[in-house]
Amino acid sequence: MIKAENLSKTFERSVIAPETGRSKRETFFAVKNVSLSAEEGEIVGLLGPNGAGKTTLLRMLGSLMTPDEGIIKISTGNGDIITDPVERKAHIGYLSGNTKLYGRLTAREMMRSLSEIYGMKKENADARIEEICEIMDMSKFIDNRIEKLSTGQSQRVSIARTLIHDPEIYIFDEPTLGLDIISAQAIVSFMKSQKGRGKTVMYSTHYLEEAQFLCDRVLVLYDGSVIKSGTPSDLIEKYGGENLRQAFFEIISLYEGGKL
Amino acid sequence: MKPSRIIALFKREMLDVIRDKKTIVMMVLIPVLLYPLMIVGMALIMNAIVSNTAENTYRVAFDNVFYTDEAKSRVKDELCDILTGDETDYTVRIIPTEEGKDCAGMLEEDLIDAYISAGEGGTYNICYYNARDLSAKAADIIRDAFEIYSRNLTKEMINLSGLPADEVLNPISFEKNDLSTAEESMGSMLGYYLPFMIITAILLGAVYPSIDVTAGEKERGTLETMLTLPVTNLELIISKFLAVSVIAVVSALLNILSMGGAVIFLVLTSVRMGGDSGLNINFATFVPGILFTLLVMVFFALLVAAVCMCSSAFAKSFKEANNYATPVLLLFMFASMSAMIPNIEFTRETAAIPVVNVSLMIKSLFAFKYDYGCFFIVLVTNALYAALAVIVLAKLYKTEDILFSESFHSVRLFTARRDMKGGGLPGLGDAVLLCAVTLVVVLYAGNFATVRFGFGGVVFQQLVIMIFPCIYAWYIKSDKKTLFLLKRPQIRELAGGLLLEISAYIAAFMLSAVLIPLFEDSASNFEDMEELLTGAPDIAVILAVALLPAIGEELFFRGFLMGTFRNQAVLQKRNTRDFKTGAFIVILTTVIFAAYHMSLLRFFTVGVVGLAATFVTYYTGSIFTGMLMHFINNLVSVLLSLYPDTMTRLFPFMSDETLSLTETAYLIPIALICCILGLFLLRAFPLGRQTRNRQ
Repeated sequence: MIKAENLSKTFERSVIAPETGRSKRETFFAVKNVSLSAEEGEIVGLLGPNGAGKTTLLRMLGSLMTPDEGIIKISTGNGDIITDPVERKAHIGYLSGNTKLYGRLTAREMMRSLSEIYGMKKENADARIEEICEIMDMSKFIDNRIEKLSTGQSQRVSIARTLIHDPEIYIFDEPTLGLDIISAQAIVSFMKSQKGRGKTVMYSTHYLEEAQFLCDRVLVLYDGSVIKSGTPSDLIEKYGGENLRQAFFEIISLYEGGKL
Repeated sequence: MKPSRIIALFKREMLDVIRDKKTIVMMVLIPVLLYPLMIVGMALIMNAIVSNTAENTYRVAFDNVFYTDEAKSRVKDELCDILTGDETDYTVRIIPTEEGKDCAGMLEEDLIDAYISAGEGGTYNICYYNARDLSAKAADIIRDAFEIYSRNLTKEMINLSGLPADEVLNPISFEKNDLSTAEESMGSMLGYYLPFMIITAILLGAVYPSIDVTAGEKERGTLETMLTLPVTNLELIISKFLAVSVIAVVSALLNILSMGGAVIFLVLTSVRMGGDSGLNINFATFVPGILFTLLVMVFFALLVAAVCMCSSAFAKSFKEANNYATPVLLLFMFASMSAMIPNIEFTRETAAIPVVNVSLMIKSLFAFKYDYGCFFIVLVTNALYAALAVIVLAKLYKTEDILFSESFHSVRLFTARRDMKGGGLPGLGDAVLLCAVTLVVVLYAGNFATVRFGFGGVVFQQLVIMIFPCIYAWYIKSDKKTLFLLKRPQIRELAGGLLLEISAYIAAFMLSAVLIPLFEDSASNFEDMEELLTGAPDIAVILAVALLPAIGEELFFRGFLMGTFRNQAVLQKRNTRDFKTGAFIVILTTVIFAAYHMSLLRFFTVGVVGLAATFVTYYTGSIFTGMLMHFINNLVSVLLSLYPDTMTRLFPFMSDETLSLTETAYLIPIALICCILGLFLLRAFPLGRQTRNRQ
């Protein structure tokens, strides 16, 4: 389970002041006072337009970024509560479009060296690699250099990378972005299977049909704040429409009109 | 910090680096192929040149005069005998001059390689084209022939006078006799060249991988993947540092093996060819030296790896990292040449200077001088500097900031002007760069101009200081008002600044009275300048010495430099009205300003006056208060030297550089009162409580 309380993060950006026409730097909230939690066996989706703060939020949850304010806790299978940012990473599998692979290594070499960094025993690691190879259907290219692989193949290796230490929590930032239907479907079914194994999955997406079908709960982010959350069916029921897409548009336009 | 994690990270780095083709080329192929090719190739070329000289036939002609004039004709015959004699190891063919053609024409058409023309009396000219290989060589041959001929003539003349020619020509005989053993000669030669070669090899081996593991990793996007792993910054840096060090050592070893191999090949071939082999050298005597050299190489590689990583870690891209690495490379290579400078000795002091110590240690090893105390210092200091650099790097290297922070520009000058956003303020890197450049220009060009042009040079020096920050501010399209604190001061602030200036002037005067006997130096700002200024009209002197520095130096130090520091504090979200932040910026600016005056004594006296000006400028936020204070300060000094009588009548304590007890007794209260009044006018009293609003 992962739990976050009152997370905030500010960044600097330069803006052109309209009165002088000069640029000046100003700070703004990328994420503002967000609290959330995701339980075991639950898939939580983050929805929101570009710049809403999804990536920043996920980076903070994955300990890639230190929040300016707020606390993040995760509890492991045996009931330990972990707050240390570095230790938390040992229980998280994080994937985004920016986490590139080591092109000069083969998939097997990369997984092996990651297993060493995670502190796994060599026999366990080798067995785990075989298992993952089976799950992700990588046997054909596991010993090829990653830079030589196709997009779909390297996406599979990317997922394999997050599996090596068998984490309790998966954090995926737009994992299906830019993939063909077959590859995207493989990822969706992977997330489903992890939910079946009692893992926690947190992910962001722009594909609302996918979110409606997959998520137990969704959070709608706007300007760094969570403006609405609930199960997809609840949101559809409450905000009308036939599907999550229509409900999402309704929520956003209500919020922009100040009526939410 | 977990050692097992560092080892795992290190293994991954090594695997990654070794898989990179470019690294392998830089590390293995270049040294292994290049040196043998270079050395063997050079040997082949030299060989070819030597054998060519022997094989070639040189065509030499004599000017027409030699055929018509009888005396000259004899000279020609003598020379021909020498040139075509049996004792020469070359062949010369004498080309007779053709009908209707002069020698110059023949030389131009390449029908001959050189010719001899006769001038008045006993002068002769050897004419040739230096650009043609054969021609130049032919000229040398002819010159040698003339020398032999001239010696023969001398001998003949001495003989004619009845004296013994050999005794007159060589009354005594002497020889140089080298008593050093073959090992010593070879060692001294190795000690001369090896340090530079080893240090360069380690540098070249370290630079590429250090960029690859830092900026390269960022560029490839794998740094974010690293960030998902449970590792700390320190572990990451140490593992990268170890990988770079190992590669640097391995590549240096390969370099040296390859160089050594090529040299041995040369020696062996020259033995086969029957030359002087130098094989009577006992190579065993070099073994301890070589072992120690290997040891110091390992320690030095640690330092190089750490420094290279520091320079490349904060670069955004491979290209930028390359830019940063170049000055480091040049600096190290320059320092490594210290073994070639004869006067630098390997002592306990020089053993602590980075790079230089390694160079000197290798030199001393091959001179068979084993000072183990110094060796120990070299190894320990190298390890210490490296450790220090790694710790500092780990503190500064926040993976998160490097990946996600946008405001990561320390040097803005590397951006083209058209890409500048406008309204920007300089980064810290810019401040350092501009300081260094200005200082160098002022020191060299300014001093040169002062010596060369006198008064004009003084003006030029001040203009440089003034113009550099202005050009810079224009280039980055900065907000000049904010950067240079161009704000109109209030009368109250100007008056407060003046009062503080008076107290600071008195304090500096008292300080110099105390310090002068200690430093045996003069506190005068322009004693050395006075000479230059004599003859110039008084008003010009006042302008050059009092007004220009007040504008130029203020713009540079209190404006550009302090503005940059304050801007950095703002970026780091510090409150600039906070006492600690303000004090830090004011003191830093003052220290740089005082150090710029390049004199230990003036560091303190200028420091006192500078502190007052910096404080007032920072506090009022207006550069003009600082300018006024600076102007008044310099003006008093100028007037004192222009009109000493009037000034000492007005201010008797200025009559000499010492102070009597009574003078001190009334100066201290005056200074205190001025100080308090000034602070009061600035509304900085009581200190720390700031009521003034900044716009």
